[in-house]
Amino acid sequence: MARALCAPTHSRGQPRHHGVPRGTWASRAVIRIARVLFAAQIAAAAQYRIQSILWLLFAIVRPVVFLAAWSAAASAQGGSIGGFALGDFAAYYVCLTLVIQLTTAWDAYDFELEVRTGTLAPKLLRPLHPLWYAATSNLVYKLFTVPALLPVLVFIAWSFGATFQTQPYHLALFVPSVALAAALRFMFGWVLAACAFWTTRINAIMHFYDRLTFLLAGQIAPLSLLPGPLATLSAVLPFGAMLATPAEILRGGTTLEQALELMAIQAMWLAVSWLGFVIVWRIGLRHFSAVGA
Amino acid sequence: MRYLRLLRVFALTELQFALQYRTNLLLVLAEEVITVATSLLAVLVLFGRTSTINGWTLGQMTVLLGVYYLIQGAQAVVFEPSFERFMEHVRLGTLDFILIKPVNSQFMVSTRYVQVPQVAQALLGVAVLAAGLAQVGERVRLVEAAAFALTLVCGLVLVYSLLLVLSTLAFWFVRVDNLLAIFWSFLDAGRFPVDIYPGWLRLTLSSVVPIGIAVTLPAQAIAGRLDGVGLGLMLVATGAAWSFAAWFWRRGLVNYTGASA
Repeated sequence: MARALCAPTHSRGQPRHHGVPRGTWASRAVIRIARVLFAAQIAAAAQYRIQSILWLLFAIVRPVVFLAAWSAAASAQGGSIGGFALGDFAAYYVCLTLVIQLTTAWDAYDFELEVRTGTLAPKLLRPLHPLWYAATSNLVYKLFTVPALLPVLVFIAWSFGATFQTQPYHLALFVPSVALAAALRFMFGWVLAACAFWTTRINAIMHFYDRLTFLLAGQIAPLSLLPGPLATLSAVLPFGAMLATPAEILRGGTTLEQALELMAIQAMWLAVSWLGFVIVWRIGLRHFSAVGA
Repeated sequence: MRYLRLLRVFALTELQFALQYRTNLLLVLAEEVITVATSLLAVLVLFGRTSTINGWTLGQMTVLLGVYYLIQGAQAVVFEPSFERFMEHVRLGTLDFILIKPVNSQFMVSTRYVQVPQVAQALLGVAVLAAGLAQVGERVRLVEAAAFALTLVCGLVLVYSLLLVLSTLAFWFVRVDNLLAIFWSFLDAGRFPVDIYPGWLRLTLSSVVPIGIAVTLPAQAIAGRLDGVGLGLMLVATGAAWSFAAWFWRRGLVNYTGASA
């Protein structure tokens, strides 16, 4: 995955804006920092164009696999299962593929390496929190790959005969909902990443987290088709808010009230994960002793 | 005979390596149990809503999942670590040290390294397979067992051939780990029978990335759903894939220049 190898060039000194009111200066500084961050990350990502496209395959194959399975199951059951007709399954999984790609976050794996090898130390000396570099690189990766994904989605939708029930309000709600989901997965990834301060290796934790996402986030089945105990688990855990919620909204599978309710749950989990991150990071950072420091 | 002895040496060396890091070994084992258990759950969720999928019953599907993990485990034990190191050798130029050894280079490159904990994945596959067979209930006749063993070996050879061809590309392009990502991403599709997929995907999984037929045919064989024609085609395809991969390997080797040459 494209990693932020090059440090953004902060110091390419533009003149300080003395005498300008403080508020304006602060917002200008933010814009300048954001511009530099993005420029650096775009340059980094541009080196890995083919790699980025190949990584798309991972996002595409799994939803198609389960779409095919549910389509075969629905055909065996006379065309529909639990309110999902063949076209609904197709629409759901097409939307899910898009959501998976738009919300993906891989920072924990990189972070583990940085803690283990001590390369985190120089990053901590920079004036910006490592979170911001990661967030920019995450956004840039999606800007690069999603345009390539869209034609594939159109093809899958066509080849499985997807029927969308999307209303204009669904589209309008999808945007904030997928943004919430992306932020939620990103923050959760960082909470888990920060565990590396204590355990150094977090592969096992990440694997468990990935498999829970596999089971409970709506990948193996739309959440309303999960049987009793799994449905309860997915209702009390945040995984549904990470993938299934935006996917259901985009395909038009919810009413306006349901959509708003689901998004409130997303916002709640995002707040929880942010709080969790702040706490874990504060305590964890004290445990960090860089190699060679 | 000599090659079998070599395989034993490789495995024992690697076992000693693996036993140095016991906590890590345990964690990897736990990961594998979780992977297989969650995949089995996914199949159960599916069959909670239907009794057959394209003619496959729950028992047969469980057998198929067992074969999937058996093949995936088997390739992860030997081929995956060995080919990874091979590509590293090409990149660094250290392949010279392997080529001068008095052993067949293809054998050496394909089998030198062993990921011991992955043996558990293959064993879990066998366990799932047995559970599936128990559920199918019918006794497996000798013919079916033989066809199963034969197709299973063919499946492994197909997967091996693909990995060898993809790795051999390293002689020309040096960095090919991205090409292996094609294999990894399609691997996920092996968990279901290849006949449920739409044409384009079925074709991919039966030709370019043959993980689909590698898993589906053994499962069909043991369920008594494989006819002579299918078996014959599988044998021919496997032979062809093996010869092509071996030829391609020799072709690539000619291209290798080494680090200092």
